[in-house]
Amino acid sequence: MENFLNVIVSGIMTGGIYALVALGWVLIYKCSGVLNLAMGEMTLIGAFVTLSFYSMGVPFLLAIIISLIIGFLLGLLTERIFLDKLIGESILSTIMLTVGLSFFFKGVVQLIWGVDNYVFTPPVFSLEPISIGPILFKEVFMWSFVAAVILLIIFVSFFKFTRWGLSMQATADDEMAALSLGISARFVYSIAWAIAFMAAGVGGTLLGNISGVNISIAHMGLTVLPAVVLGGLNSVPGAILGGITIGVMESLVGTYVDSWLINTIGVPLSIKDIAPFVFMTVFLLFKPYGFWGWERIERV
Amino acid sequence: MSNSNEDYILKINNIEVKYHEVILVLKGVSIKVPKGGIVALLGANGAGKSTTLKAISGLLNHENGEVTDGSIEFMGERIDKMRAEKITKMGIVQVIEGRRVFEHLTVEENLKVAAHLKRKGKKVKEGLDMVYHYFPRLKEKRNILAGFISGGEQQMTVVGRAMMTDPKLILLDEPSMGLAPMLIHEIFNIITKLNKEEKISMLLVEQNAKLALNVAPYAYVMENGRIVMDDTSEKLQDNEDIKDFYLGFSEHGERKNFRNVKHYKRKKRWLT
Repeated sequence: MENFLNVIVSGIMTGGIYALVALGWVLIYKCSGVLNLAMGEMTLIGAFVTLSFYSMGVPFLLAIIISLIIGFLLGLLTERIFLDKLIGESILSTIMLTVGLSFFFKGVVQLIWGVDNYVFTPPVFSLEPISIGPILFKEVFMWSFVAAVILLIIFVSFFKFTRWGLSMQATADDEMAALSLGISARFVYSIAWAIAFMAAGVGGTLLGNISGVNISIAHMGLTVLPAVVLGGLNSVPGAILGGITIGVMESLVGTYVDSWLINTIGVPLSIKDIAPFVFMTVFLLFKPYGFWGWERIERV
Repeated sequence: MSNSNEDYILKINNIEVKYHEVILVLKGVSIKVPKGGIVALLGANGAGKSTTLKAISGLLNHENGEVTDGSIEFMGERIDKMRAEKITKMGIVQVIEGRRVFEHLTVEENLKVAAHLKRKGKKVKEGLDMVYHYFPRLKEKRNILAGFISGGEQQMTVVGRAMMTDPKLILLDEPSMGLAPMLIHEIFNIITKLNKEEKISMLLVEQNAKLALNVAPYAYVMENGRIVMDDTSEKLQDNEDIKDFYLGFSEHGERKNFRNVKHYKRKKRWLT
């Protein structure tokens, strides 16, 4: 029982990080309808930037803030250089462009930092597990979760209560109509990319503290995809719920199914990584718009 | 109508519009809208009416179109090379064709989005009150998602939304499209009221010529990307060609029997 609780709690906490990265997806999808397939690589860049500053002796919190600022600028720059020309073109070509971007980013990272695994030295978070009652977890998980929750609250209120949040939703709904009211699509997109880059950076940094910083963080981008789809592609609360669901599921499957496979059948398979995708596929059969996604309104 | 320049809020001088740098859609179009007036732009499908509006509002650039010749002046300033958001800021707003509400926002959020350029804080509230004053129906529905309200209410939402940008000139693209006659009547009443009370000039594109000529004192007729005729509505209503091709009356003033219309016999008196 205690073990079960532990598994659930660590699942929820990893889910917090997933939710953060998922938020980057949602943000860009919500205002431009583009599925940003370079999200994983943006996460990677964020992680490396924080790591570089931390290794230079900058305090961790400051390193994160610097990484946020750089993420913001890189987001703006990416939108300006690569995506600006595609405003008004078909969504599919923009999505293909993000595929290209993902290779480009990965190449740049390999060029600058190589393919080695780096760890935050000295470790930022203590390795001693914290215990609350019977539940044990590492400090890094707790802080990741807290950071995720804080950022999520900020984002949700941004969409609900600010005029720019509203403009973003309007642009998502009908770009032409938004433009006719003087909402600048260029501005909305740049902000979305900038914020997405920031969210990805924080997610990457936290992840790097758990498993080290290397090129495989980029796969996170895809791992998070089920979380985004599950929540409904354009729902911020959906991204949170989806992230946590996927986190818990991975943790459960990893602990119980995978160990059962090894111990009983003797096959060292890792079902954990594909479980979310299987779940996503089945789930979509029943709820094609996810938990809270926008359904296409059709009046009869 | 006086001809002095200050009396016109909008002057289109001989513009030419191309899409994708090759497809010529407007040739030598000139239109003038007097301050505080309503001008109608008539024409069949594909005549270039919507393109003319988009050329004014700057939305053309978004569709890979461009004004390649001539000029558009708004209150004495050239706007044909400006970005759409700047043009809206100056006071021109286009109500695009087809009731394009933001479906996933509520009616009130639809209105608030439009206010973002000019109104802040208290002025948003004032704007909302003004819109609800003209469209009381929207007040009842303000917390409903705009995708779920009726077609007439959606049309009211987009006109109200345009009002929120504090415009001096509204470009209305087919406000009557797909609506029941009673609703059309209601909406046109409000449009005339807005023109009179809020002193907003309007350029109205319509396929329903009879309706448009009733509302607007002056009208232009477009065909194949050109202006083929322009006159006061009274004179246009008496014009045989207009009667024949747009209003559907025969020369004797009776309702036309379309079985007897022989288009090949009846030549238009203008060149297209």
